[in-house]
Amino acid sequence: MSKNIKKNMRVLKTLLSLRFHGMTVFRLDFFGPFFVDGSLFLIQLLAFGAVYANVDSIGSWGRGEMILYIGSFSLINALNMTIYFFGVNGIPGKVKSGELDLYLSKPVSPLFRLTFENITPGSIPLILMSICIIGYGIGISDIELTVVGTGAFIFWILLMTILHYDMEVLIRSVSLYLVTMARMEQIEEAGLGLCMTLPGIAFYGVYKVIFYLILPYGIMATLPVQSMIGELEPGMAAYGMGVVLFFSVLTGVVWKKGLRHYNSASS
Amino acid sequence: MSGEEPSTFSPYNSLKMHAAVQQKAELWKRKRIRRGDHDILCFQGQSWSFLRGKEFYMKNKVIETQGLVKTYRRYRKREGIRGSLASLWKREYEEKTAVNRVNLSVEEGEFVGLIGPNGAGKTTLIKMLTGIIAPTEGSIDVLGYYPNDLRNEFKKQYAVVMGQKSQLFFELTVNDTLRLFKEIYEIPEKEYRETKDYFVRLFGVEELMDVQVRTLSLGERMKMELIVALLHQPKILFLDEPTIGLDAVASRQIRKFLREINEEKGTTILLTSHYMEDIKALCRRTVVINRGVSLYDGPTDELFDRYQKNRKVIATFEHPMGQIALKTNEVRQIEDEPYKKVYEAAIPRTRELFAELMEYEPKDIVVEEEDLGAVVERIYQSEIAAQETGTGRGSGRAVEGAEVSETGATAAEGKEATETDSAEQKSNKKGGCR
Repeated sequence: MSKNIKKNMRVLKTLLSLRFHGMTVFRLDFFGPFFVDGSLFLIQLLAFGAVYANVDSIGSWGRGEMILYIGSFSLINALNMTIYFFGVNGIPGKVKSGELDLYLSKPVSPLFRLTFENITPGSIPLILMSICIIGYGIGISDIELTVVGTGAFIFWILLMTILHYDMEVLIRSVSLYLVTMARMEQIEEAGLGLCMTLPGIAFYGVYKVIFYLILPYGIMATLPVQSMIGELEPGMAAYGMGVVLFFSVLTGVVWKKGLRHYNSASS
Repeated sequence: MSGEEPSTFSPYNSLKMHAAVQQKAELWKRKRIRRGDHDILCFQGQSWSFLRGKEFYMKNKVIETQGLVKTYRRYRKREGIRGSLASLWKREYEEKTAVNRVNLSVEEGEFVGLIGPNGAGKTTLIKMLTGIIAPTEGSIDVLGYYPNDLRNEFKKQYAVVMGQKSQLFFELTVNDTLRLFKEIYEIPEKEYRETKDYFVRLFGVEELMDVQVRTLSLGERMKMELIVALLHQPKILFLDEPTIGLDAVASRQIRKFLREINEEKGTTILLTSHYMEDIKALCRRTVVINRGVSLYDGPTDELFDRYQKNRKVIATFEHPMGQIALKTNEVRQIEDEPYKKVYEAAIPRTRELFAELMEYEPKDIVVEEEDLGAVVERIYQSEIAAQETGTGRGSGRAVEGAEVSETGATAAEGKEATETDSAEQKSNKKGGCR
C-alpha cells in the first residue's frame, strides 16, 4: 500500500513537472489561464454582487456569512480548476476516440493519471483570491478565529472538494457505458450554477432532497460555512461525511465497472 | 519474474534433483536457459524432454487463447428522417462478431505475424490480449494472467504500440516522456539509463531526444514510440500496424530494429500489419484472420508458397509508350498509362516478364508482393472449396476448426480436428525469429 502511494507520488511529481514544461512551450499557454480564469472569477463575483446587493440576510445568515459562503464556493471551485478539472473533463473525449486504450495498458491507475495529467497552475491565483474573500467574510461576521475552527473549516473544504471530484468523475463515467455523454455535463453546470448563488440553507422540500442527496451540490459550500460559524450540528456533520463516503464508493464502483464495459473505438 | 539466476543442468543432475525440479517447474517454465553444448532437460508444457542446441529458450506458452470470441452490438437505422424518428422508439440491433473462436498459442521468443484485411479482427484480438477490452466468450491467458483484470503486475510485462495512437507528449521532448514512463514502470535509475542508451544507440536517434515530438517525422516518431514501449524491457511486445503510413526506407529501418530486439532481447513479438513485406521479412509464423476467424496458422514461407500466386510488376518509362504486346504468358495488365505500365504476373513468370520489359528500356522496374487481400481471399476460397468437396481441411496448414458456411459467415468447430491435424498444428507452431 505504502509502496503504491510512494509510486503514485513520484508519478504525480513527474506529471507536474511535465505539465510545467508543456505550459512553458507556448507563452500564451502559461500566461493565458491567469487572464481567462481571473476574468471568469470576476464575472462570478459580479454575479454574486448583483444577487446580494439588496439582500441583507438569507435564513439565519447575514451579509458576512454570505461573503464567507461565496469565498468557500470559489475556493472549492478554484481547487477543482487547478488540480483536476481539465484532466477529468477530458475523459469522455478519450473514451470516444479510443485514446483511453493507452491509459489502460500502463501500470498506473488510469483515473489517477487522467486526474492529475492536466494540473493548471494558472488557476492558483483564484485560490489566493478566494482565501482573501473568505478572510473578508470572516472579518465582517466578527467570527473569532480558533485553531480548531480553522482546522474544521479546512477539513470541510477538502472533503467537499473530494465530493466535487466524485460528482465530476461520476457524470463523466457515463461515457464508458454509452460512449456519448448526452450533454449530462449540463446537469452539473446547472446544479453548480444554482448552488453557487444560493446556500443550502435556502432549500426546502423537494429542492433540499435534490441538492442535499441526489446532486449534493447544495452542501458543498454550506457545510464548511456552517462549521466556521458554529452552526453545524453533529447530525449534519455525520450526514456530510456519509454523503462523501457514499459518492466516493459509488464513483469507484461505477468507474471500475465502466472500464469493463469499455469497448474502445475502432482503429 | 524472479531474480533467480537461470541455470544449465544436465539430465544426471536433474534426476538427482527430481523433487526439487518438480517444485520449481513453474519457475523454470518461464526462465531462459543459458547456452549449452550438451543435452538439456527441459520442461515443455506438461512434460520433461531433452533438447539439444547452442542456444534456445525454454519453450513456454506466453499467450494461450481457447475459443476466444468478441461480439459487439450495433444498432441499425433506416435511412431518412422517418428512420431516425422511428429509431427513437424502436431500435434494431445486430451483433457483429469481431473475433470468432480464435485459438492462439504463442511461445516465448516467437515473432508472430497477424495479418488480415481491414475489419478482420486483428486489432480487437490485440486489445483483448492486452486487457483493454474484455472477451465475450472463451478463455484467455497471457503470461499467466487474465488480461482484463488489468493488474499492474501484468501490465509491467508487456508493451503495446498502436500505429495510429501515440503515447508521446507532442509538445514535449522524448526524454520528458521517458522520464514519466520510468516512474510509471518503476525502473531503477541505473537500469533506466542503460536501457535508454541501448535503444537510443540502436535506433540512432541521439540528436532527436531533446527536440519537441511534434517536429519529428512519422518514421522518427515511430522509432520513439518503440523506445518508449521497450524502456521497461517487456516480455511481450504487441505491435498494431507499426509501419502504417511509413515510406519504404523508414519501414525497412523499423523492421531491422524489431528483428534485432527479438533476437537480442528475446522479446516475444506479435505484429499486425497490412503489409506483406513486414510479415515476410520478420515473422517465421503467421496467423491469417478474416472476418474474425483464424484461417491459417503456420509457417510464413508455406503461406506464401501456397497462397501467393502472383507478383505485381511496375515499369516506368522516360518516354510515352503505347500498348506493349507481351509474349510472356500468365500476365494480366492492371494499369496502362503512357509513362507507367502495371502488370500482375504469376510468380514463375515474373523473371520472364522482367526480361521482356527490359527490352523496352524502362526508367525503372519495381516488383511488389501481391496485395494481402488477394492472398486472404485465396485461403478463404480454398476453405469453401475443401468443404464443398468434403475433403475437410482443404489447405493442409489452414487452422483446424475454421469452418466457412454457405452464407460466407465462418465458425470454428475445434472438435472436428483430427489427431493428425493437431500434430501438424503443433509442428507448425515452432516459430521464432529470423
